[in-house]
Amino acid sequence: MKLKKDLQAILSDIKVNEDFKDNIAAWHTLPKKEAQTVTCPRDLHPLLHEALNQKGIDELYTHQRSAYEATMAGRSIVAVTPTASGKTLCYNLPVLQSILNDPSTRALYMFPTKALAQDQKSEINEIIQAAGMDINSYTYDGDTPANIRQRVRKAGHVVITNPDMLHSGILPHHTKWVSLFENLKFVVIDELHTYRGVFGSHVANVIRRLKRICHYYGSNPVFICTSATIANPLELAENLTEENMVLIDNNGAPSGTKHFVFYNPPIVNKPLNIRRSATLEVRKIAGELLKNKIQTIVFARSRVRVEIILTYLQELVKHELGSKSIMGYRGGYLPTERRKIERGLRSGEIYGVVSTNALELGVDIGQLQVCIMTGYPGTISSAWQQAGRAGRRHGEALVIMVASSSPLDQYIIQNPDYFFNKSPETARINPDNLIILIDHMKCAAYELPFKADEKFSNVGTEELLEYLTDERVLYRNGDKWYWMNDSFPAHNISLRSASQENVIIVDQTDIASVKVIGEMDRFSAMTLLHDEAIYLHQGTQFQVEKLDWDEKKAFVREVDVDYFTDANLAVQLKVLEVDKLQPVNEAEIGYGDVSVRAMATIFKKIKFETHENIGSGPIHLPEEELHTNATWISLNRALSELGAVRLEQGLVGTAHALRSIAPLFVMADPQDIHVIPQVKADHNEKPTIFFYDRYPGGIGLSEKIYSGMTEVLLESKKMIERCQCESGCPSCIGTDAVGDEAKHDSLMILDAFLESSSR
Amino acid sequence: MSLKNKLNRLKPHLSTGNSSEKKAVPSSVETSVEIPYKEQWELEHVSPYYLDKNFCLIREVKYPLDQRHGHYRFRDFLTAMETWNQQSAAHPLSAKGFQAEELFFFDTETTGLGGGTGNTIFLLGYASIEGEELILRQHILPNPGAEVPLYQSFLEKINYRTLVTYNGKAFDWPQVKTRHTLVREHVPRLPSFGHFDLFHAAKRLWKHKLERLKLAVVEKEVLGVERVDDIPGFLAPMIYFDFVENKKPDGMIGILKHNEIDILSLVTLYTHLTFQLCGLDHDSTRMETFEVGRWFAAIGEKDEAEKVLGKLTDGQDVTACQAKLTLAFQHKKEREWDKARNLFVEVVQFGEGRLALDACIELAKIYEHRLKDLESALQYCSQAIIISERTPSFHNLSGDASMEQLQARKERLNRKIAKSPR
Repeated sequence: MKLKKDLQAILSDIKVNEDFKDNIAAWHTLPKKEAQTVTCPRDLHPLLHEALNQKGIDELYTHQRSAYEATMAGRSIVAVTPTASGKTLCYNLPVLQSILNDPSTRALYMFPTKALAQDQKSEINEIIQAAGMDINSYTYDGDTPANIRQRVRKAGHVVITNPDMLHSGILPHHTKWVSLFENLKFVVIDELHTYRGVFGSHVANVIRRLKRICHYYGSNPVFICTSATIANPLELAENLTEENMVLIDNNGAPSGTKHFVFYNPPIVNKPLNIRRSATLEVRKIAGELLKNKIQTIVFARSRVRVEIILTYLQELVKHELGSKSIMGYRGGYLPTERRKIERGLRSGEIYGVVSTNALELGVDIGQLQVCIMTGYPGTISSAWQQAGRAGRRHGEALVIMVASSSPLDQYIIQNPDYFFNKSPETARINPDNLIILIDHMKCAAYELPFKADEKFSNVGTEELLEYLTDERVLYRNGDKWYWMNDSFPAHNISLRSASQENVIIVDQTDIASVKVIGEMDRFSAMTLLHDEAIYLHQGTQFQVEKLDWDEKKAFVREVDVDYFTDANLAVQLKVLEVDKLQPVNEAEIGYGDVSVRAMATIFKKIKFETHENIGSGPIHLPEEELHTNATWISLNRALSELGAVRLEQGLVGTAHALRSIAPLFVMADPQDIHVIPQVKADHNEKPTIFFYDRYPGGIGLSEKIYSGMTEVLLESKKMIERCQCESGCPSCIGTDAVGDEAKHDSLMILDAFLESSSR
Repeated sequence: MSLKNKLNRLKPHLSTGNSSEKKAVPSSVETSVEIPYKEQWELEHVSPYYLDKNFCLIREVKYPLDQRHGHYRFRDFLTAMETWNQQSAAHPLSAKGFQAEELFFFDTETTGLGGGTGNTIFLLGYASIEGEELILRQHILPNPGAEVPLYQSFLEKINYRTLVTYNGKAFDWPQVKTRHTLVREHVPRLPSFGHFDLFHAAKRLWKHKLERLKLAVVEKEVLGVERVDDIPGFLAPMIYFDFVENKKPDGMIGILKHNEIDILSLVTLYTHLTFQLCGLDHDSTRMETFEVGRWFAAIGEKDEAEKVLGKLTDGQDVTACQAKLTLAFQHKKEREWDKARNLFVEVVQFGEGRLALDACIELAKIYEHRLKDLESALQYCSQAIIISERTPSFHNLSGDASMEQLQARKERLNRKIAKSPR
């Protein structure tokens, strides 16, 4: 019988194993780090001391102590805390201390999801009960039973909620929360990095409303934010809360040696540059580790992937381990189920977990030995979050990232320096996006009348109030504006949906139980949900049977076909106003307001493996218009040596490459930022490539690109150059650009841009 | 680009929640304390109440006690009060120990539905007895921003002990508290009141015959109140927004009349409920009498329940059976086994369906555990099983009436009978 190998043996094994070692694109070792601790603060309440002792804590990590001191001195903070660094004490210590000193003190905790709120309630209650403190902490969300809501409002020292509930369940009813708002000393915002983009912009406005109500009741709370590692935690925290913040990043938690391996599956189709499926490779690697009983967590990007990998792994090890020792772990699980898995992991009964990014957020599952990522998780920040799941405080850990064929994955895996040396993405929000702002000004007016000199945002509050008055939503009397409408505005405003009028996706596979499975903004729906489109939802194929554009509903049915659909969107982009312009020798970089008009024209059916065109059809939908912000770069010379056709194809290829790379610079989903080329832009008649925000009014993504254009161009160039294909493939310039010279021409265009922009 | 231009460009994406056509909005910045349309208001008994540089409007109307509203005169309310004061039985609606003048009938009109800070109360209306008159007062918010005079004037006037409302426990009063909180630094505290919410009483008494229990339905079907040219309540917010903009009293007067009838109907409704509860209404239907008796039984007023239900037990109709069953349960609770048994037996004899099923089960229990007559117990248990078997809708009942429990009871009885010495 073969002996089980330990992690050390595995590590030396994979360095020599023929099957594995050739696919290693990079091997990076992070040295271990000792704990940096300091004594507990001297003024700490005896009961808190006792509670910490019971948990076996007699010293604090440096960052915990810094957080305590800053917040007790009345400063707002943002603490950057990697996975498993004891971040909860950063806020629980000052909050509990303040309540023990003055029982009228109140604190509001905000977590992005209900599940996290539940976890945190258990965590804080453990401390409270350990020392028998007389402190009430409650969750308040959609699940809170009506009969205890009153008690939470009146007697909850710590109220734990989520931004959606704050927005529609607490702020519009603030008169029922007088004792909370009069005594609110702390607002805790956990997982700060999740508040970005449209969602973050909404939440920033919810916080404006919260502060407005606090001000009305005479309180001025300290904000305590905690964030995963991102490029701009301080900026994000300050933009989100509009408070001056102290950055706390002296993490004192220890960590062991960590090996970070980039694994690129072998090429199976040379001309198309297609690699072996990442899912299959992950199965193989994880299977090997689990056979050796090495605790392993596997991340996959969708629930379906999780299920596929899980089924396979459970099968693989069923004789040795029994199927219960490998579990799935997803967002939708019940708290009790999750507790069971967490306990199993800590006790060692469970060896393997397969998870979606649900576990990126701060749920405590203990520490595992190996982490495997099925594909690049999309951002450097979440890659580090996931990697943080492996790594005990002592001993070694292994992280393996298995790349897929997508351009972004291939870029990352072939540029390990970029990943390891570059600071993670910037999280952007734009609380002054007019559409979001106006929505929240309505909610704010519902909550309290606006006064003439009141400043709600950084754009003219009074002008916006006049607009709402003209629309007969507000009524001006003297120097105040009053809500004058019979609706409840918060109910019509969702913090998490991109635009107000989305297309609802209705699954009618089972006529007896027709259900809504998702929604999509109108703009994307034109190309993804037109009649006959194949729509992929969490890995399952659906065909759109009918798109009811007036009612904004798409009716879909599950199918199993061997093709996907690709729709042509005729996009016209017009610059309305140039806000910034940076002329450089042979090019210019601009930023401003644009109007994007889009019309879906035809769609093609494309066979999976071969990418053959196996049919097409027209799309009958009206033109859509989007007003947003864009950044563009234009060439002052026409590159006439290329000729019109090659210039156009080259621009198409360049745009594809830029679209793949742009998300690296702003923390955004790929669909949040669009890139389109124009051979002759309307406003300056020059060959131009535009980057625009997909959300009406813009959320700051293209503005960020404006200041980092050179880098985006440079990295795109590198990506194309390093691609092993001959004349363009899905991993570099995409398949839309036709002609054998497209790859060459794209590089030439990038060079032309770079020559000018880098001066 | 200017903000205004941007707003106009983004307009298709902005939901204002207001699709109505735009009208020219007159400048609404008021600085003087001029009352627009003062003469027209005076014709409607409306006068201003001034506070600092602000004001609200108050309408006051007096009714002689002999005035009729629906099936009753307001004077009948005095009879109702006397009756409660002579009653010995307790009841949630009992005004024992109260003077007629201490009750006030209260209703509001608001700018929206549901609770929420921004749902403004623009009309606080109430009526009460003063000597030989019923006096109705309505405090009107002339525009948002006049809430301090509104609540100041309201709180000066209301010196009562108990509110009488229709669904005011869930809606009107919490909303008054919410809006009051916003001006609490400028006006007196809200006093605490007792509260008779007639909505719950109406639900108890007339759920069997009315599909919806809105006050307007109860008025029409039970109280005999007829509304002429009434403005439906759901239009009130629109009419009020209109009034705020153009100040013309016409629409508001319609709302005042609507609110007035609501409040007067509360007086009639309370009178009628009292007459029903105290047995003064000789036109009560047997169903109504049963509901009254059941209500007394539910709150533990067993003598009163027996008195009321006793009037129904000589019949053989469904209501008589229901009354007997209710009384039988009350006897059971009092451990008066023989009385209980006799009534249960009658229910089995004359009743059908669920009534008979429940009675059989109760008899099986009494015979088994109290009267120690296992044969009779078995007989009633078997009868219960037969009833249950032939009625499909009983098949998924739970607890005592479930088939499993009935069968288990039967088996146990059989075992006991087999063991017992003959």
